[in-house]
Amino acid sequence: MLRLIVRRLLLLPVVVFGVTAVIFGLIQLLSPYQRISLFIRDVQELKRFSAQQLIEKYQLDAPLQVQYLNWMKEMASGHMGWSEVAKQPLADVLRTRFPATVELTIWAIIPMALGGIWLGTLAAVHHNRFLDHASRVFAIVGWSLPAFVFGLLFLMFFYGYLGWFPPGRLSVWATEALLAPSFRPYTGMVTFDALLNGRLDVFWDALRHLVGPVTTLSYLYWAQLQRITRSSMLETLRQDYVRTARAKGLDERTVINKHARRNALIPVVTIVGLTVLALLGGVVITETIFAFPGIGSLLALAALQLDYATVVGIATVAAALTVLIVLLVDIAYALVDPRVRVQ
Amino acid sequence: MHGHHGRALALLASLLLVVGLAAAAGAAPKNPDTLVKAEYGEPETLDPAFAYDTASGEVIYQIYENLIAFDGSDLTKFVPMLATQVPSVQNGLISKDGKTYRFPIRKGVRFHDGTPLTPADVEYSFERIMLQDRNGGPAWMILEPLLGVSSIEQLATSMAGVKEFKEVPADVLRKVYDKVDKAVEVQGDSVIFHLARPYPPFLSILAHNSSWSSIISKKWAIAQGDWDGKPDNWVKWHDPKAEEDPLFEKANGTGPFKLVTWEHGSQVILERNDDYWRKPAQLKRVVIKKVDEWSTRLLMLQSGDADIIVTDPQYLGQVEKLPGVTVLRKLPWVTNTTMFFTYQIAAEGNPYIGSGKLDGNGIPPDFFMDIDVRKAFNYAFDFDTYIKDVVQGEGTQARGPIPRGLPFFNPEQPVYKYDPKKAEEHFKKAWGGKLWQTGFKMTITYNSGNDARRIAGEILKQGIESINPKFHIDIQAVQWPTFLQAYLESKLPIFTIGWLADFPDPHNFAVPYLAKEGGTYAPAQRFPEEWYKQFQELIDKGMSTTDPKQRQEAYYKMQQLAYDYALDIFLVDRTDNRVMRDWVKGFYPNAIRPGDDFYPMYKEG
Repeated sequence: MLRLIVRRLLLLPVVVFGVTAVIFGLIQLLSPYQRISLFIRDVQELKRFSAQQLIEKYQLDAPLQVQYLNWMKEMASGHMGWSEVAKQPLADVLRTRFPATVELTIWAIIPMALGGIWLGTLAAVHHNRFLDHASRVFAIVGWSLPAFVFGLLFLMFFYGYLGWFPPGRLSVWATEALLAPSFRPYTGMVTFDALLNGRLDVFWDALRHLVGPVTTLSYLYWAQLQRITRSSMLETLRQDYVRTARAKGLDERTVINKHARRNALIPVVTIVGLTVLALLGGVVITETIFAFPGIGSLLALAALQLDYATVVGIATVAAALTVLIVLLVDIAYALVDPRVRVQ
Repeated sequence: MHGHHGRALALLASLLLVVGLAAAAGAAPKNPDTLVKAEYGEPETLDPAFAYDTASGEVIYQIYENLIAFDGSDLTKFVPMLATQVPSVQNGLISKDGKTYRFPIRKGVRFHDGTPLTPADVEYSFERIMLQDRNGGPAWMILEPLLGVSSIEQLATSMAGVKEFKEVPADVLRKVYDKVDKAVEVQGDSVIFHLARPYPPFLSILAHNSSWSSIISKKWAIAQGDWDGKPDNWVKWHDPKAEEDPLFEKANGTGPFKLVTWEHGSQVILERNDDYWRKPAQLKRVVIKKVDEWSTRLLMLQSGDADIIVTDPQYLGQVEKLPGVTVLRKLPWVTNTTMFFTYQIAAEGNPYIGSGKLDGNGIPPDFFMDIDVRKAFNYAFDFDTYIKDVVQGEGTQARGPIPRGLPFFNPEQPVYKYDPKKAEEHFKKAWGGKLWQTGFKMTITYNSGNDARRIAGEILKQGIESINPKFHIDIQAVQWPTFLQAYLESKLPIFTIGWLADFPDPHNFAVPYLAKEGGTYAPAQRFPEEWYKQFQELIDKGMSTTDPKQRQEAYYKMQQLAYDYALDIFLVDRTDNRVMRDWVKGFYPNAIRPGDDFYPMYKEG
């Protein structure tokens, strides 16, 4: 087990290096003249300097490895460059925006995993009967709805009509409560910080704002989890040891929960891990619709406006996170399936 | 896939409307003392000397104040703000030669941090922007009238006789400071500006609406780590990067609102300044929220969580009939959009001019030097369709480089109208009749995503290709950086772009459109030298006097020449709109203000 973790940890810098090198290399395919345009946001600057001066200013003519090393040095010293779309140093952007997306992911993954697994089990247990079909239809509808359609429908009804779950991250009064000197931000995740500060009112306000994006994300991902759980359960239920368990006269609930589900969960864990990754990598549309200030909405803007520093910065952090999460998935795997540990 | 989305969107739109109707009817204002505006801009910075965009300007406008302000919606009258009088020749505060301006500074005004306003703060604010002069920033508007240069580096290099700013020796840098220091002086309770030459729009540049003339607290700025006011080391603060600018996201003005927080990418929260020198604002709080998605903004308006939302013209139909919502259309705005011809196209490696010859497969680099070509292009463009379909009626056909709403705009100036017959006549005469025989081929580019520019190109293509089957225009999308680079290198035969006013004076349009030195578009178009000369004479004439009659003569002549030469295809002078809840009171339009003035606003259901 320990060897597995160490091996994975050693891999982390290698993968990060690989990903950043690839991203960096892709941008180098453009000529220095085109890359100047990526740095410049203002016609005035082009008028006041010659192209050659700008290339020198931004060191765009240095050898590739020098440019890459310069950049990595900056990154390592915590200075990740300037995010043009957020008008903020990138390190600050990541500090404020990543916690928001992580918070959203944490809250989303709970209903997503529990709901998906429950639906999948339900379908498998009632194989080819009404509940199986109904749960599949329910999940497939979510899967096939584009996020912007479901998100907007949700907003229209629950916010526009009922006035329950507003977009954004917090109400204005709650934001001001957060800014008060007595409030200590521990994690940057407002729900947790509110609890740690004993501010239940702020906690409920934050939670109210999370319901929309969380519901949207859960519903969109349920189908996938439901499908995987269902087929995995069906396969497991056909195994000899399940038949044995039944033959021993165990009641059906014990058979399903104790014997079948645990084994059926192995592929599901992987999918949940990958889903977490997908969410952290940027839940672009959901965050945009709900005006939720996380990393997803920022990534979308940065990509559209060719904000080189932001895209590369997010990609780098996402790469590091990917390796970490894959590591966690592997550990979870090992916990669920002892055979992995032995290998 | 596309059709599926289209149907879904149509369904959504109608559902939204129904839900909206139910929610909006008969509501009382939510949060009566907080005003929420939802928009999609993000401030660039809160440093008034650094900011040069409307999203920053809107926030700075509420926090900082200027010496004088425009009188409500009127762009020709001023009222005193931090100065107690508006200078004029009559009241003796402007010298007869138009080169000295005196501003008596108001007493008893305090900055948000409690420090009192003094004339030294005013002096510091203007000296700081001139010396900071961040690259691509607004400082040229202060430097041009006061020192007669467009950048401090230009002044320093010319004084030192070197090419690069970094080669300027320390003693010359000190002399540069001395010039800056002399341009703005404190004299008793007043501040005196010494101009390099008479500069008619100077008061407009100093007026409220322009962040570059905001007054900051010297003591506070120095405490934040900004320029210490000393003569020898100003270069340390010159042309800072955004993240190195000490005032980048802090704010301390004398205005009616104080900054609570700027949450990047999310919102700016402002609160009332209860110690304001005028009557404090009625609103306790103003929140400017960044909401990129239109439907979300619409829902926020309907539910009453947003009081004002930014609405692009194509969505106006969705809000116009909503109960409880006020839609103000066709508000004055000083901006125009133009299709520019390039007169000497850079031919080398240029993919946009085909063969580069007049052989039916391309155009020669000097294609647009023939006036008949330009007139034919103008007559072949269907302006009415463009204005009706592309900007949804939010604008009128432009009458030349100077947009309506500015002084000395000539409302009688004739314009080209869509007339295929006249276009045909001119095409037949062009290039000695050869063009009609051989035909031509060229490419019009637009930056991808900009539908208004794409459709403008398509309207022109349609108009021209229907006249002669030998005429071909391709429309091609390119990325914005490519577009920018290509037009600056004079590679685009035709490019569409707009200009938004910095201050309400025709000089702010004449220079970018018509000047060789300091111009933005004319140099990229490569005018013939004699035109530059002609236009420069008129630009100088327009600026050499404050006599309205003489100025009008110069600017009318400019507009007439632009028409006679069929200089460009002048497309549209845009108008603006506001969409707000009925309970928002106190709004008044101003054609060049960045965003809204929240000071007189309040909510009443």
